[in-house]
Amino acid sequence: MKKRTLKLMSMSLAAVMTFAMMAGCGSSSGEAKSDTPAGTQSAADTSAVMSNEEIIKKAAGEGKVSNWGIGNEYEILALLAKYGLPTEYLSEDFTMDAFDDDSSTLASAMTYNELGLVKNDYDGGYGYGDTVGYIDMNDEGVAMLEDNIFCKKSFAAENPETVKAFLYASLKGWEYAVANPEEAAQIVYEAGSSVSQDHQSYMASEVAKLVSTDMNGNTVTEVGKIDDEAMQQTLDIAKQYVTLDDSAAQDAFSKLTLDDIRDTSFYEAAAGSSDGKFNVEKSEVSIQLKWLPQAQFMGYYVADAKGYYDEVGLKVNIVSGGGDISETTAVNNGTVDFGVTWPTNMAVADAGGMDLVEVAQIYQRSGMTLVYKYDNFKAE
Amino acid sequence: MAQKRKRPKSLYRRMQENAKVQAAATIILPVLLGIIILVLWQTQVLHHWFKTDTFTLPLLGRIKTIFMENIGKIWENVVATMIVALVGLAIGSLLGYGVAILAALFPRAGRGGLSVIGAFASIPVVALAPVMNNWTKDVSNDASTRSMVAKILVVMLIAAANMSLNAYRGLTELKPYAKDLMATYAAKKRTTLLKLQLPNSVPYIFVALKVSVPASIMTAIVSEYFAEYIIGVGRQIRENIVLAQYPTAWAYIATACLLGIVSYVVLMIVQSILLRRYH
Repeated sequence: MKKRTLKLMSMSLAAVMTFAMMAGCGSSSGEAKSDTPAGTQSAADTSAVMSNEEIIKKAAGEGKVSNWGIGNEYEILALLAKYGLPTEYLSEDFTMDAFDDDSSTLASAMTYNELGLVKNDYDGGYGYGDTVGYIDMNDEGVAMLEDNIFCKKSFAAENPETVKAFLYASLKGWEYAVANPEEAAQIVYEAGSSVSQDHQSYMASEVAKLVSTDMNGNTVTEVGKIDDEAMQQTLDIAKQYVTLDDSAAQDAFSKLTLDDIRDTSFYEAAAGSSDGKFNVEKSEVSIQLKWLPQAQFMGYYVADAKGYYDEVGLKVNIVSGGGDISETTAVNNGTVDFGVTWPTNMAVADAGGMDLVEVAQIYQRSGMTLVYKYDNFKAE
Repeated sequence: MAQKRKRPKSLYRRMQENAKVQAAATIILPVLLGIIILVLWQTQVLHHWFKTDTFTLPLLGRIKTIFMENIGKIWENVVATMIVALVGLAIGSLLGYGVAILAALFPRAGRGGLSVIGAFASIPVVALAPVMNNWTKDVSNDASTRSMVAKILVVMLIAAANMSLNAYRGLTELKPYAKDLMATYAAKKRTTLLKLQLPNSVPYIFVALKVSVPASIMTAIVSEYFAEYIIGVGRQIRENIVLAQYPTAWAYIATACLLGIVSYVVLMIVQSILLRRYH
């Protein structure tokens, strides 16, 4: 009798445990789903929304400004400092879920990527449509330059013709991509895209704007040219907000000048070449991307697909990045020949002892924005 | 009659038989190995072997300088990491022990339950951490608090699984006839548990802790990678490596090693005091 009760009890205990576990799993996924409004909100009246300054102050006061960190945070720090706020932010993961459920109300979003995911309702999007607004770093005067092309100084010195040829073909690819974003998106999608085709074409059209417009909103015709004024603004902001624990590196960083981190001669030679004929020293080269294959890097995929690299006698291997890839390390230790990064990250790496130099600046304005829901920042 | 003369023992033999020398050797040899590695490191032989440079693997002096310069900041991160590791370890181990007792009392359901827990323990931290972050969204409005809760939960799961599996063995793998003896005394189940099973499980608790203590610190460090609030030794390693600040990253790697070693030594001392009567 007693034995049987025990057996029954233990069995029911096991049953309860399994049930509790399953219930736990179920409720968690249910919650995640119910949080997604999927465009059910009505379009807000934008005139009833706070000013940028008020929005930033409110979000910062609640500790709900977010960014990815690891070198992407300096524009946000500069913006917070501009309004006299403490330079603290939440760590954003690689989704916009935290923005979706309001744990971050002012979330970093690149115009060409996260902003599109937040607004659009295609696969992977959050479908907020025009119920969200964003603060543009270019308008706030804290913009820093982003995607460039860089390589090792010693590589550039030993293979000058290769660098010129690579730039010539890559920039040709970028020019074509900017003029034909739809086709470029298709090329990237076929080359092994990490995101949906819809998002890829959205991204291509937004990236085209960043490549062909400068920080002041003027049209740029010379794709890839290093604009010293924008570069200086980038370096100045970086010097203010980059803090390195290594005092030797910090010291070296504060002494960096434009001449230490960029070399315009390769761009000028490539842009000035009439026939695109170069005596390349190294015919097989590779380029390390900063992120997964997507239209953010469409110029290289277009140059490859259209045969521009073949024309200058180069075989180019496009190496995709993602997550915690350190593109500066990959280039510096010779794993790859070229890389795409943000000038600040490259300058920081140089201050730490690397030997890198920027040879072209693809994005002429910042793609960084802080996105917010109108509903969270209604004017009183 | 030729008397067989006893040959004097060689120095090597005598050292082998001397308990004190043996005890000293167990300390001296690992330390010697450590010193040899450090010497190879400083003289850049390691760099040559692993085909790396002093940039990716900075020399010891440089790491030490950064360590000393940032001792205050490093300490802040150490405190954050250790709170997560120790609180998670404590709660997790208690929970795990409780589960083990339940499993020992109800062996049929218990064994199945333990296999489920064993399966839980094999979920990688990188998979658990983001899930916990999502789960703890509503715990607090303060990001640092809810981040800490999320990290503690991950450590807790790992520690609980480890403890329950080991403690269950301690509670059930008894000396032959011990249980029969208790039965001949007509001892109640509770008495058997208190007088026989619980004391028998004590050494197994330390077996579990020997794995859990370093594992909790590792888990805390890895879950910091995914945490919403930016703090901790692991987070600093990540940020500095991505920003190509290798000497600083190495200063934090050294810190992480120290944390592991120190807490292991503390555990060994506690064990030698508590388990004295078992030897």
